[in-house]
Amino acid sequence: MVEAYRPSSLEEALKIRADKGALPFAGGTDLMVKYRYESGAVPEYPAPVIFLTHLEEIRKIYSQDGELHLGAGTSLAELMSHSEVPELLKEAVRTIAAPGLRNTATLAGNICNASPAADGVCALYALDSRVKLSSPRSSRELAIYEFITGPGKTELREDELLTEIIIPRDRSTTRLFRKVGTRKANALSKLSIAAAARLSGERVDEVRIALGAVAPTVLRSVELEKQIQGLSRAELSERLEHFVQSYEAMVQPIDDQRSTAVYRKKVAVNLLRQFLTSIAA
Amino acid sequence: MTKITFSVNGESRTIETDPLRRLLDVLREDLGLTGVKEGCAEGECGACSVIKDGLLVNSCMVPIGTCEGARIVTPEGLRETDRGRTIIDAYADSGAVQCGFCTPGMMMATEALLEKNSQPSEAEAREALSGNLCRCTGYDMIVEGVLKAAERGKGLW
Amino acid sequence: MKAQISTPIRRVDAKDKTSGAARYLADMSFEGMLYAKAVRSERPRAKILRIEVPRLPEGYTYVDASDIPAGGKNKIEMIKDDWPVFADKEVRFVGETLALIVGPDRGMLNRLCREVKVEYQDLEPALTIDEAESLKGGAIHGTDNLYADYNLRKGDPEEAFKKADRIIEDEISTGYQEHIYMEPQGVVARPEADGKLGVYFSGQCPFYVRHAVAGAMGVDEEMVRVQQAVTGGAFGGKEHYPDVISTSLAVAARKVGRPVGYFFDRVEDISYTPKRHPSRTTFRTAVDERGNVLAMDIDVKLNAGAYESCSMVVLQRAIFSVNSVYDIQNVKIRGRAFATNNVPSDAYRGFGAPQGLFAMEVHMSHLARTLGLSDLKYKSRHLIKKGGLTVTNGRIHEEVKLPEMIERIDEMSDYRRKVKEFKKGSWRGVGFSMFNHGSGFTGNGEQEIIRGVVKMRKRSDGLVDLLVSNVEMGQGLQTTFRKIAAMVLDLPVDQVVYNDPNTDLVPDSGPTCASRSIAIVGYLVQEAAKKLKARWGEEGEVLVEHRYAHPPRLHWDQEKLDGDAYPSYGWGINVIEVEVDPLTYEVETKGIWAIHDVGVAIDEKVVEGQVDGGIIQALGYGSLEKLEVKDGRFQQRTMADYTIPTSMDFPRIKSALVDNPYEYGPFGAKGAGELVFDGAAAAFADAVQMAIDRDISRIPVTPEYIMEVYEND
Ligand SMILES: Cc1cc2nc3c(=O)[nH]c(=O)nc-3n(C[C@H](O)[C@H](O)[C@H](O)COP(=O)(O)OP(=O)(O)OC[C@H]3O[C@@H](n4cnc5c(N)ncnc54)[C@H](O)[C@@H]3O)c2cc1C
Ligand code: FES
Ligand code: FES
Repeated sequence: MVEAYRPSSLEEALKIRADKGALPFAGGTDLMVKYRYESGAVPEYPAPVIFLTHLEEIRKIYSQDGELHLGAGTSLAELMSHSEVPELLKEAVRTIAAPGLRNTATLAGNICNASPAADGVCALYALDSRVKLSSPRSSRELAIYEFITGPGKTELREDELLTEIIIPRDRSTTRLFRKVGTRKANALSKLSIAAAARLSGERVDEVRIALGAVAPTVLRSVELEKQIQGLSRAELSERLEHFVQSYEAMVQPIDDQRSTAVYRKKVAVNLLRQFLTSIAA
Repeated sequence: MTKITFSVNGESRTIETDPLRRLLDVLREDLGLTGVKEGCAEGECGACSVIKDGLLVNSCMVPIGTCEGARIVTPEGLRETDRGRTIIDAYADSGAVQCGFCTPGMMMATEALLEKNSQPSEAEAREALSGNLCRCTGYDMIVEGVLKAAERGKGLW
Repeated sequence: MKAQISTPIRRVDAKDKTSGAARYLADMSFEGMLYAKAVRSERPRAKILRIEVPRLPEGYTYVDASDIPAGGKNKIEMIKDDWPVFADKEVRFVGETLALIVGPDRGMLNRLCREVKVEYQDLEPALTIDEAESLKGGAIHGTDNLYADYNLRKGDPEEAFKKADRIIEDEISTGYQEHIYMEPQGVVARPEADGKLGVYFSGQCPFYVRHAVAGAMGVDEEMVRVQQAVTGGAFGGKEHYPDVISTSLAVAARKVGRPVGYFFDRVEDISYTPKRHPSRTTFRTAVDERGNVLAMDIDVKLNAGAYESCSMVVLQRAIFSVNSVYDIQNVKIRGRAFATNNVPSDAYRGFGAPQGLFAMEVHMSHLARTLGLSDLKYKSRHLIKKGGLTVTNGRIHEEVKLPEMIERIDEMSDYRRKVKEFKKGSWRGVGFSMFNHGSGFTGNGEQEIIRGVVKMRKRSDGLVDLLVSNVEMGQGLQTTFRKIAAMVLDLPVDQVVYNDPNTDLVPDSGPTCASRSIAIVGYLVQEAAKKLKARWGEEGEVLVEHRYAHPPRLHWDQEKLDGDAYPSYGWGINVIEVEVDPLTYEVETKGIWAIHDVGVAIDEKVVEGQVDGGIIQALGYGSLEKLEVKDGRFQQRTMADYTIPTSMDFPRIKSALVDNPYEYGPFGAKGAGELVFDGAAAAFADAVQMAIDRDISRIPVTPEYIMEVYEND
């Protein structure tokens, strides 16, 4: 039987995390499934557990310098009903599980679980989000794509907690979020796309495209985006198939119990083409 | 072992237990509240739905250690209220109940919906029930039950 | 004109169930109860060389085949008895029970089970129908891996094939389906104070359990008392499997002298309990120059899994259903159920019929597509009529109302107009399916095997006890049986007492399956009530009984499988409209329409509930519920991965009923519980094939499969 801590401040939480190597426990919707093995039995956690979502310090949502800060303890339901949360993220979060689960699950958990199929994470990639990581002595910020390094793997250090998610203001004029799930609701992703673009007149000023569940982490190519940015819509239209093919080469999904690699690739490319077409002339 | 004090159906309870036990097990085993069902233990089916601090949650996903000071409502509590009785009657008149295993959870999801939105559309009702699986009814009559409860319960929510 | 009995009343069990007051098995308390957990095979096929049991802590007990009492046997007596209570020499599928560990803490039990070390000598498993047919790894069962091999013949197929203008070949297959009753399997066995063994269970067939437990324990059946608990769904999944759990649990309870309960975890339930039989059906069809079918040569193969259980009977229903509602003059059918190293396949709503009906309906639509003819017109040309000959050379004794039903459903759904409007390959489609379902046991089962008895007692307090072994499992029997008795006796419904059956208190009116509860047992209830009514004036307690008698017009030869396979049929039509997303191949169902002939509805609301639930379950089967096997293990083992429909997957169903009273049914009723499952998968597949203008030949019709057929054309 492992210990479970319910600290009364973030400071105390960070100290427990550092001293005991305790497992951060937010909504628990990933952890309860991962470490459960028998109904009616207490889940078997590999380390002491530290409850987080009651901590006021990480339950805030606020804006600062034009950026939105989401406390790690806020639930998915809370951020869905917050007026300043970007639409793209809301749309993604709305597709996660079902109302009851969204009342407990957090976006921080969605990130730290580091599943390539995490729907919130896909939108966060397309929104250029960063995460704030705090330890008893210091804190640092990482871009989301720096933080997540592989399936189930992150840069989180043993004495750190993710305390905030920071989202720059989304000035896009065209957006797409599409989750292809195992069914119409309460479904896990076979693949997903989150994309945003800013058009001014005939020019593509900015484009951000993230694809979920088609590679070991959410896929985003800043390289290709740069090539698209600055093109006129007509130019994009001309070179559309070239870009589609470049993305196609990067999409490397797998077969699993939810879908097939062939399907994931084909459909991801179809949705990507649809988005590019929508911003091209 | 931790001492946890919380309220269940309006009554204050203090128990001493492993804080990592599921709320579901504490309700069923320690408090005898067997209206809360276990259908999957993975947050998928909603049979274990209860209301915690005004929000619908899956009690199989909640460690009791996070419930310090919480207010929990189970089907046993809801059924004693006018809202509960309205939902129960509306379900019965709509044919919403077959094997009944999903139904207490459905009732909790209905309460949570109507609390937020007292006159939901059919689409909103379907969305609100999407975390509660039913294998018997095909959902139509449950949705009808929700709408009927909303209709009859004007003023209650 | 609607029969009076059809007017809906409130379900008698609705309030208790909604409020959480109803007690399912896991809600009951048994003083001093221990839990059991199975030590399971990790191999699909192997010899057991050695089992090393860890030292068990105080209070924990290991139970295996050596604990079966003298006089008992290590066999589960179901329709066949090839499935052992505890595997002791070999294992035939992943998850087979080797032993139980019994004790107080479920977490500890799980750990102890994982510590049991089994040394296996692996054998080569046969997992698919093809592997079983080619005897991969040697025969699992007999010398040919066939649990059953049947041949049917109607007319003169050889002669008819000679006259063919064209011969069209086709292959249709269906996948596994898991029941996902919302309440997982559960049984409690308890040595009782009166020396009997008590068994409390969630399930369908109390007397099956009693028979199986008595056989394994080597005691008289009267020494076993079985009590059904409120059951949270079953769908066939709790027809035989409770026998499997109860037998080992009875051995354990006797050994430890205390109540022992086994409540399946959902993952365990999905991984190791029986499923619907996967099937593969091939057709060779001879047509004349107008495209009319002259003859069919049909081969049906079922993947029956590691033990036979009831596969022989499932196969019978599959082949008896494989001409569906069509009168094909010359037919040759072969049906085989193959032994494989998978979890045994077993009963699931429809019992083989959905596989046979799906294959035929889709084949008919393929014929129409191939011949460039209108689907509905083509199918209509071949419809069976009253007096028509079935594939077992029996007669359809009732009026077939399909022509009238076709017109009704066309009005409801606007089918014909939509067929014209949605062009083939326009990503919009509308599908049509027709089907029928025989109520009651196949062949002479009701007469020879079951011989159901119903008793009814007027008590001195004026209440009436309805004594039957059939159970409420969600289908509404608590309400409909009471209604039948009350209507005959002219009593309020709440004066009829019908408790969850206890084998000590009720006669054996047979199992709750095969759409027999209303059509067969409901009739016995009606007849018993009539007898009671005739004696109503008598003082004090009056007890009457009524026993099943086969309707005189029916004949059946079990040896030749020849004659009237079923006493009556329910009939139905489904129409489904879809839109397929050309980017993702996801299907959006736009409309669902249904019309059924169930004789007379005992309660329209109850029947409508069956229709809604049956259709959505069938759409799950047809579109979502993928269950794949790899190395003998199911790949989808959680409810997250094995996806049943949610409230948002399908739109509201519009359904109607036509009255067609059946003379040997209560108030004219026939069976409905399975019929309503039989058509939606085919209508869905048909709609998708119109939308993408390609043949669909298997279910589930997943987006992955749609992409495959679309792209590979
Ligand atoms: C039924 C069901 C359906 C689901 N459906 C979806 C879906 O549709 N889409 C989807 O993307 N996901 C889905 N999930 C997965 C899960 O709900 C989400 O990933 C959720 O956002 C996780 O949040 P949580 O707060 O519950 O995480 P937790 O389980 O508490 O934690 C997840 C991980 O993050 C770590 N962690 C949490 N908070 C912190 C922190 N502040 N600092 C450092 N580490 C931390 C934990 O240690 C753990 O490793 C589903 C889960 C279930 C059970
Ligand atoms: S038991 Fe909690 S969601 Fe199924
Ligand atoms: S009524 Fe049986 S699961 Fe809903």
